[in-house]
Amino acid sequence: MPEPSATPMNFAFAGPGPARANGRSVAVIGAGPSGLAAAGFLACLGYRVDVYDKLPKPGGLMVFGIPAERIPAGRIAQGVETLANHYGVSFHPCTKVCDRRQVDDTGDEFSTRCIDLDELVRGHDAVMLATGSWKPRRLNVPGEDLRGVYTGLAFLFPIRAAQYDRSRMSEINVAGKNVVVIGAGFSAIDVAHGALGQGAARVSMLYRRTRREAPCGSHEIELFEAAGGQWLELVTPVSILGEHGQVEGIECIQCHLGEPDEDGRRRAVPDSCAKMVLPADIVVGAIGETASPPFAERLGLESVRKNEIHWLQMTQMEGVFVAGDALSGPSKIGKAVYSGLRAAQSLSRWLTLKGINREFEYREEPPITREDLR
Amino acid sequence: MAPDETMTNVDETILFIDYSRCIGCESCESACRFIHGQARINMTRTVGGIMAPVYCRHCEAAACIKACPRGALQKGADGAVLLNPVLCAGCETKSCILACPFGGIFCTGLEDAVAKCDLCQRRRSVGMAPACVEMCPCGAMHLVTRREALALATPEYEAAHRKVMEHVRPVLAPLKRRDQE
Repeated sequence: MPEPSATPMNFAFAGPGPARANGRSVAVIGAGPSGLAAAGFLACLGYRVDVYDKLPKPGGLMVFGIPAERIPAGRIAQGVETLANHYGVSFHPCTKVCDRRQVDDTGDEFSTRCIDLDELVRGHDAVMLATGSWKPRRLNVPGEDLRGVYTGLAFLFPIRAAQYDRSRMSEINVAGKNVVVIGAGFSAIDVAHGALGQGAARVSMLYRRTRREAPCGSHEIELFEAAGGQWLELVTPVSILGEHGQVEGIECIQCHLGEPDEDGRRRAVPDSCAKMVLPADIVVGAIGETASPPFAERLGLESVRKNEIHWLQMTQMEGVFVAGDALSGPSKIGKAVYSGLRAAQSLSRWLTLKGINREFEYREEPPITREDLR
Repeated sequence: MAPDETMTNVDETILFIDYSRCIGCESCESACRFIHGQARINMTRTVGGIMAPVYCRHCEAAACIKACPRGALQKGADGAVLLNPVLCAGCETKSCILACPFGGIFCTGLEDAVAKCDLCQRRRSVGMAPACVEMCPCGAMHLVTRREALALATPEYEAAHRKVMEHVRPVLAPLKRRDQE
């Protein structure tokens, strides 16, 4: 429901409006929070911006991962429209930038066009890579490949994506089924609420630590319980059971809390003897994603992280910059936005100085710190 | 900000965040930090795991203004509470930070000892909205008058706001006396 006072979403918030064209063009790969923030910043400065994304609509996980109850899709769409209509940003949906090597990520189903990175580099003055983190982490337990076992993204993605193209994507039917969700992050809680909302007979969340350590926080777990969900803590799956290739249950063992790990959270220590079997028709392992940037090696992303390239967020390929989850792994929207903005600023500075052959003067600008990416 | 029936300057502009629609994504903090170098709106995480930004409410009768011994905090023409860093001594007591009931003034550990929201005065002077408001993906942030804010304060907002404030300013039971142990 739009309120009279609501200020429109504006990815090009850095300036008062479109600037005179500066004659330079930038390709942004990925239309998630990081890519859109970078595109907005560059558009403010008069760059001609092309945004490529593998999905049918811009917004990335803000639109296809996070449920509409949390982020209204209309607001993102309106921000994108402003970029397109007022700032002349060109959006190229359903286009994946490839390295001629097939990468199998969630959401690849929609890519109908493949563009080579070198082609983009040749066709633009600079490139911003903001492809995010789309590779689900695996549970690494036997039975993970049974029918009825999904990753968090594989579960959440079709709920939104099916609205765009039913022939390629359909929602996972959970009605009347017994759903077990593994994990306790925000995507786990979103999966659990999604399953409850779609009429699952029973939804259980399984976490190896307690609600005190849960990344989503105990408040979210209370809301889940209030909505009729079952919260099971101090249990970890050891194998997924099934017959004829179809999941039927999860074998779990009891854990207790041990010494704190690197994050300061107490780690879950399995008790070998106490096993139990939970019946399940659908199992969702929502234990997070990892970054899956294409050409990671060629771009030298590891060197970017270690600040070995003396230009903020530039990769080993001259003029190719990287931002957001693709650089620093899964994080929050705000971190991705900040990373995208800083990279765009760095990109613009580099192009400007290069234009007057002075780029070497500023090579030693203090690199982005851990604090900046955290 | 608990809307106060006795308020007189209903046309003053403030920042209003509907915590019931905020998902704690941090975009506001990032936009603020990018524009101002030092973020003037900062995330907090309650014991229950709710992530929410804390920020200056530009109070009508601002406790921070009264607490500053050097007059470094003043009301601007439109009612915004403004920090004049030249007058700020960065005093050790940081009375302004302690005085603020909303945790809206931040210790920076830098030369300018404290940071606070100025409702993006410079941006607004050229017709732009505050950066945080423009970058909130949830539409949870509003630049509104005190009167308009009353209309936005739904029961859901009140409940969410209470949860955050219980964390920012917990009401503590008095310490037990030794002879009562």
